[in-house]
Amino acid sequence: MWRIAARGHDGRWSILVDKRATAANLLLTGLLLAASLASLCLGSASIGATAALRGLFGHGDAMTVFVIRELRLTRLAAGLLSGAAFALAGCLMQTLARNRLATPGIIGIDNGATAFAVASVVGTGFGLAPPAMALAGAATATAITFGLAGGVGTRGYRFIVAGIGVGAAFGAGTQLMLARAPIDNANTAYPWTVGSLNAADPLAVELLAVGLPAALVGAGLLARALAAVRFSDAVARGLGIRVGRCRLHALALAVLLSALAVAVAGPVGLIALMGPEIARHLSSRRGVPLFGAALAGALIMVVADLVGRRVLAPIEIPAGLITSVVGAPFLLWILLRPGHRIGA
Amino acid sequence: MTGLPLVSVPRNRPRLWLALLSAGLAAACVASLLFGAGSTGPGASLRGLLAWIAGLDAGPDDARARFVVESLRAPRTLIGVLVGAALGAAGALLQAVTRNPLAEPGLLGVSAGSALAVAIAIALGASAATLRVPVAQLGALAGCVAVLAASRVRGVGDDPIRLVLAGAVLSGLLGSLTSMILLFDERTADEIRFWVVGSLAGRRPADIMALLPGLGVALAIVVVIARPLAALALGERVATGLGHRPRTVRLLVIVAVALLVGSATAIAGPIAFVGLVAPFAARLLAGPDIRRTLWLSLPIGALLTVGADIASRLLVRPSELPLGVLTALVGAPVLVAVVRLRRLPGL
Amino acid sequence: MLITIRKTGLCLALTALLAVSLPGAARTLDTRYGTIEIDGTPERVVTLHEGALDAAVALGTTPVAAVATRGGDGVARYMDGRVDDIAIVGTARETHIEAVVAQRPDVILAAATLPESQYRLLSNIAPTVVPKGSNFAPDAWQAHTRLYARALNATDRAEALINNFDTRTAAIATQVPEAAEATLARWMPQGPLVMADIIFASRVLAAAGFTVNDAGVVAEGRPHSDPLSLENLDRIDSDWLFLATLNADGENALAQARSSPGFERLDVVQRDRVVAVDGQLWTSASGPIAANAILDDIAAALDLDRQP
Repeated sequence: MWRIAARGHDGRWSILVDKRATAANLLLTGLLLAASLASLCLGSASIGATAALRGLFGHGDAMTVFVIRELRLTRLAAGLLSGAAFALAGCLMQTLARNRLATPGIIGIDNGATAFAVASVVGTGFGLAPPAMALAGAATATAITFGLAGGVGTRGYRFIVAGIGVGAAFGAGTQLMLARAPIDNANTAYPWTVGSLNAADPLAVELLAVGLPAALVGAGLLARALAAVRFSDAVARGLGIRVGRCRLHALALAVLLSALAVAVAGPVGLIALMGPEIARHLSSRRGVPLFGAALAGALIMVVADLVGRRVLAPIEIPAGLITSVVGAPFLLWILLRPGHRIGA
Repeated sequence: MTGLPLVSVPRNRPRLWLALLSAGLAAACVASLLFGAGSTGPGASLRGLLAWIAGLDAGPDDARARFVVESLRAPRTLIGVLVGAALGAAGALLQAVTRNPLAEPGLLGVSAGSALAVAIAIALGASAATLRVPVAQLGALAGCVAVLAASRVRGVGDDPIRLVLAGAVLSGLLGSLTSMILLFDERTADEIRFWVVGSLAGRRPADIMALLPGLGVALAIVVVIARPLAALALGERVATGLGHRPRTVRLLVIVAVALLVGSATAIAGPIAFVGLVAPFAARLLAGPDIRRTLWLSLPIGALLTVGADIASRLLVRPSELPLGVLTALVGAPVLVAVVRLRRLPGL
Repeated sequence: MLITIRKTGLCLALTALLAVSLPGAARTLDTRYGTIEIDGTPERVVTLHEGALDAAVALGTTPVAAVATRGGDGVARYMDGRVDDIAIVGTARETHIEAVVAQRPDVILAAATLPESQYRLLSNIAPTVVPKGSNFAPDAWQAHTRLYARALNATDRAEALINNFDTRTAAIATQVPEAAEATLARWMPQGPLVMADIIFASRVLAAAGFTVNDAGVVAEGRPHSDPLSLENLDRIDSDWLFLATLNADGENALAQARSSPGFERLDVVQRDRVVAVDGQLWTSASGPIAANAILDDIAAALDLDRQP
């Protein structure tokens, strides 16, 4: 721990800074910057780092500026924002449910958002734009999962499997709509079912660009309370925290973030699991690594998108498939490690 | 003989239930022959059915109805019965051997394994018609082995829900790999994409014949295995004491499950949740003894599949819904209901 | 070679000056996203729609890049030999805009369905021609060809192509019996997708004298139906059945269909009037070359039918 102290003219103030968490966040930020730069430089035609950075600020020839700013930067922004949002939502949900596996993707929230968004894309009569529909779907799925899990609490595997059931039903609904849609529309909606940044809707990216910073601030305000809620309700109450309200706020934030992120990138749910897990490994176990998780999530998304675009170019592998193929073994490892506990 | 058997659930009367369910299945099969997405209504279908069975030669309208009943509805009804019974039995076996009431071939990744195997084979240029059944069975076998390996990990075997979770993750992983193959090969994508939602339509009698060897072997294994499996439910020591060899029993069960799921998946695509719902209902009716639930799972699975297939034909006439989607919509609530039970039903 | 794009009214004087010294006068095109101005004869043309590729080639231009046909990884088979070295910059599903930039196009010919967000990006690269009106409107391909022709400075050729098509269809129509019904379907393993009477190939069939029967199962504004239940195969029992797949050649499609119960019972099968056709051409393409290729198929089928 570092203690940063200063003496102002009206007295002393000080804050505690977790040395290891800070180092971890700096490391993640560094990696994220490197991945972002790579994402700007690499594409159909590679652009050197210097030219890319000059293009970013509007210098250089017009086409380079266009490619950097209009194409690659937009896609990079979509990746950064959605990855951070997924991971932050996952971290919030894990903490409030006290369950490391309770991420929005696993308990059916992403599937709910996707089903509603696909309903609006294939035109089944709902008129709202995909982001709004995704939000409605995420809220519906959350309400159903928590409602159904009422009898079993949120700590154990039962909660998760109830969520899987809800997710399976929404997933079947999505399949149904895609099977009934004209093949051309179904192709438009296909990236939604696996998760990809290629079809990112500019409106959804803008909404997320507003929503994510707001949610980060909200999460920052909740951080102290969440760190106490992590242990038990009794401890948290003893510290003077209104547990119910804190949970509700965190849940609302998680649902909002998941929905906005799904509207941008489709269901890339495993990031919500991997991001916080990486952040937890890097930082100390004292707090809830909200910011670290967001950074790690953004990093995973940007790297997955880059790999998906480059590794078999010109065929593009959707980022959702990459994270699933990398993330699922990771998840299996968490699950099957002997003698582990899932309480966060 | 006290009380009304239909009102109070007589858990100790599996024979009665077996008879009732078989009667119900027979009724569903008749309904499946009489109702469809086409313009041939129940009345005409009935005349067509009579013409077919009694060999009567009737007018051109009846000939048409006879064709619809004989060549379109009869094969898919038969396939529905076979697929449903196979999945029901596979679910009951898998649940018994993992001692886990939530073990289901679809949830645990066995169906996904066989779908992936078929996708790989088609993408490599195999002819879909000839290779599908053995390939699907091999894929299912790989999935089964993975499930059993996971259930042997310390801590996972005792925690039924953790195994399901691992299975769901495995399923997702295999599904992603299948999607990746579709991505590379747009040409086969149409064919596989329609296949992965599950359907009984448009299958030929020849396709059924290809299933029979696998199903026959699986049935033989089931007949032999039922008693040792029941003994195994009492614990490995008891089973060994009774002269059974637990390892051999498990191995045989896995082979049977792979054959059953592989056959079902090969002909109908992945059909989720039948293997969960059928044994669950069977246990409600007959209690936990595997020797009873196994036999009851057969008609229940078949009833479920045939019923869902009838619904798939009637809901969006003149087209049809994918069957796998309907069973998932029915099965997911059952999954949630099982999870909500305070105590999971013992095995 | 110089091309300028301007919002109407801007720099008119400059444009007029340049026009004097260049082949092809400045033209104002009325497109879906407003009017654009094109000057001279473009050399590097990128087409982002199968109909645009077809029209451009028919008008005497060889585009430098195009999108792949639906379900394939190159241009449609019927275009084989016409554009062999063409670069592929996307699929029917999505365009890789960076790849378009790399082609340094003078003009981009896009589909009528191009979304506005894509248009805003593409119009930064080169003048982007997006036809007005739906692909499903009557005479859509003729209208679109005329627009692309104005962009390519080949208006006369467009009129010749369309006149030629009208003459040819009139000749074929004399061989088609009064009120002969035709159905176009794409074969899927669980049943046929009936193609709507508003898609390109159906319009060509209608122009050639057939009454297109879509069995009343295609929802309003959709290109095709859901897979039709095999119990309802008799709904596609018209005088003629044109059967397509994207996956394989036409004969393969026919073999697949024949193996499914009920198909052999159809009258149209008994009378041997099932025509296996290329799905890339019949259910995905549009434009003058495709129209003529479809007319070739129809004429061949009619010839075969007249032989004993």
